[in-house]
Amino acid sequence: MNYTLYAKRYTLTIGWLYPELMSTYGDRGNVICLEKRCEWRGISVDIKQLNLGFHSKQLAMCNLLFMGGAQDTQQKIVSLDFSKDKIKALKDMVEGGIPGLYICGAYQFLGKYYKEADGTIVKGLDILDLYTESLGNSYKRLIGNIIIKVPHHVILGSEATPESPSLKVMRDSGRVLLRQDSGSLARLTSTLVGFENHGGRTYLGKDIKALGKVIKGFGNNGEDKTEGATYKNSFGSYLHGPILPKNPHFADMLIKLALEKKYQSPINLSPLNDSLEDKARDTIAKTLNIKI
Amino acid sequence: MIISRFFNIGSGSTWPGHIALTLNKNFIKDILKTNDQRLKTILVAGTNGKTTTGKLIKTILAKGGYKVFQNESGANLLNGISSTLIHQCNVVGEIDNDFGIFEVDENTLPLILKEISSPDFVIILNLFRDQLDRYGEVNVIAEKWGNAIVSLASLTTLILNADDPQIASLGMHLKGVKLKFFGLNDKSLATFKNQHAVDSTYCSNCGAKLIYSEIYFSHLGVWECPKCDNTRPKLDISASPIYPLLGIYNRYNTIAAVSLSRQLNIEENNVVAGLKNFKPAFGRQEILNINGKKIQIFLSKNPTSFNESLRTIAGLKAKNVLFVLNDSIPDGRDVSWIWDVDFEDYIDKFKNIIVSGDRAYDIALRIKYTTKNSNIKSQNYNSKLKIYEELKEAIDESLKLTSKNEALYILPTYSAMLETRKILTGKKIL
Repeated sequence: MNYTLYAKRYTLTIGWLYPELMSTYGDRGNVICLEKRCEWRGISVDIKQLNLGFHSKQLAMCNLLFMGGAQDTQQKIVSLDFSKDKIKALKDMVEGGIPGLYICGAYQFLGKYYKEADGTIVKGLDILDLYTESLGNSYKRLIGNIIIKVPHHVILGSEATPESPSLKVMRDSGRVLLRQDSGSLARLTSTLVGFENHGGRTYLGKDIKALGKVIKGFGNNGEDKTEGATYKNSFGSYLHGPILPKNPHFADMLIKLALEKKYQSPINLSPLNDSLEDKARDTIAKTLNIKI
Repeated sequence: MIISRFFNIGSGSTWPGHIALTLNKNFIKDILKTNDQRLKTILVAGTNGKTTTGKLIKTILAKGGYKVFQNESGANLLNGISSTLIHQCNVVGEIDNDFGIFEVDENTLPLILKEISSPDFVIILNLFRDQLDRYGEVNVIAEKWGNAIVSLASLTTLILNADDPQIASLGMHLKGVKLKFFGLNDKSLATFKNQHAVDSTYCSNCGAKLIYSEIYFSHLGVWECPKCDNTRPKLDISASPIYPLLGIYNRYNTIAAVSLSRQLNIEENNVVAGLKNFKPAFGRQEILNINGKKIQIFLSKNPTSFNESLRTIAGLKAKNVLFVLNDSIPDGRDVSWIWDVDFEDYIDKFKNIIVSGDRAYDIALRIKYTTKNSNIKSQNYNSKLKIYEELKEAIDESLKLTSKNEALYILPTYSAMLETRKILTGKKIL
């Protein structure tokens, strides 16, 4: 009975970077998803829209960050707006473990640089150790449905074991897989499904890990089977879909990380009914002939 | 050409055109040259409204006493356009028509302008984000269009939507071509709500954010740049005597068609009679009656067209809606765009919401996430929502839920619209 009262204590400020400029391919679905999954649990959410000309102090007030993809023209406008103090504020937050999700154009933008087909180097924010190259229009864009598998500790935390009760639901739904590797320990993996559409090929440096391994699709560059990147509590990915409504376990992980960071104590989110999410995921898995 | 004509393929097929272009890559050019004494060409481009605008023009011109043909809406690539020409001509390549109306796909406009280098009219309606996986980003399309129309000369009249900043800007630096602008000047139609799926609100000249004194929908309205002198061009036409179709988007389509009629000096009574006679194209507000119940289909293929369909049916006090979402190639493989549709503004107004299609669960999920209830126990999805994977079942159930004096509004994507029509007109219902 006390649950609601207890839960109401929690508030989260979600910073949405450039919603007007960096939002294509339904990226705002990620913000809607975070907002609703908090609200449905009685966690109050304040969405801060950080538009052109915002102050870096506004950024520092946020507990969770999101930034989506953009078209080239829009991305250039954003680059010009991203002043040194904004870059520093964002870098401090990433280094300090403030969780964030950066999709497609935003993911590339946080890297060191974007090299255009003619060799022109467009500098990135240099926050994540990665770079992106465009091969030009004669090369195929990497487009299609995609499924990746993600090491379980990335999404579920290192304390999760195959026996954790909270994992039972996810295992039953296929969002978490239990793999018995050649007689050794049972290992957990999560799957993420989405749709990718990018011309740039991203390569990871040595200071950063891939978010997951491509089961079906192209991923970062179509060559090395990696997809996305994870550094401290920041995540970059090419997955649209949008990624969070399609992968509610990923959305919940971000919410949990943000709350734990803010309140400095372990948080257990109450489970929600995700049967529609699972059906939507299944549709893609079936199309790709993958069992998840 | 003769060979393909010999097969007598229906105009809906595009492979005769493919064969013709393979045998003679100048096929379109050659056949238009054969007919250049009589046949005038009209190209209609834009993300939304091509088929309806083309059909409006066809109806008005026919009233004006002209013989007119139009390519079918699915046939808007080069192959389809060649097929339409094959279908229209006799064995020696003569076309017994005064006007050919060609709606052209976003990617096809630059290609067709290489084949039809001096069309009599080019109408450009709008540019919205649509099927980014197929067409790419809107700025890239605008740039390609800009490069393609530079070579148009005084033989062509270019009719542009002044209210769409990116389209209006296409006309800015053109020389030689005859230029006409259409748009709206009606404060009563303006909205001040920003829709999310808005593109190109930045000045094509200097990159500053444009200021709107009126927004009609999406990024269409009365705009100006606060930094440079870029502003909405002066309108040559801003109204039609009547509007045969609902929705502000159809006002634009109608005004565009009337604008062209004025250039051809069609008598006003014929314009009005044409508009009054107008029957909507397949699935574009088309009305069907099944077992005494009214069904109206609103093709909804991208965020803007979906938003405007929702706004229009809400205006009709719609109670029963069926959303059909497919992800085959004509629809776009990526369905992420449904998250850019402002469902939140309309969902509460509907009594029954039924979803179906290849991606039924995706649209169900989108609707679930409009749920305002913050009670954890009832966060389950909206109780008004019903999901049927099978389209036939969805239609049957939707009709059962629709009472005799109500209407069922169906909002499908392109391939879903064709499937829906097939089921409804195939009389397989109930």
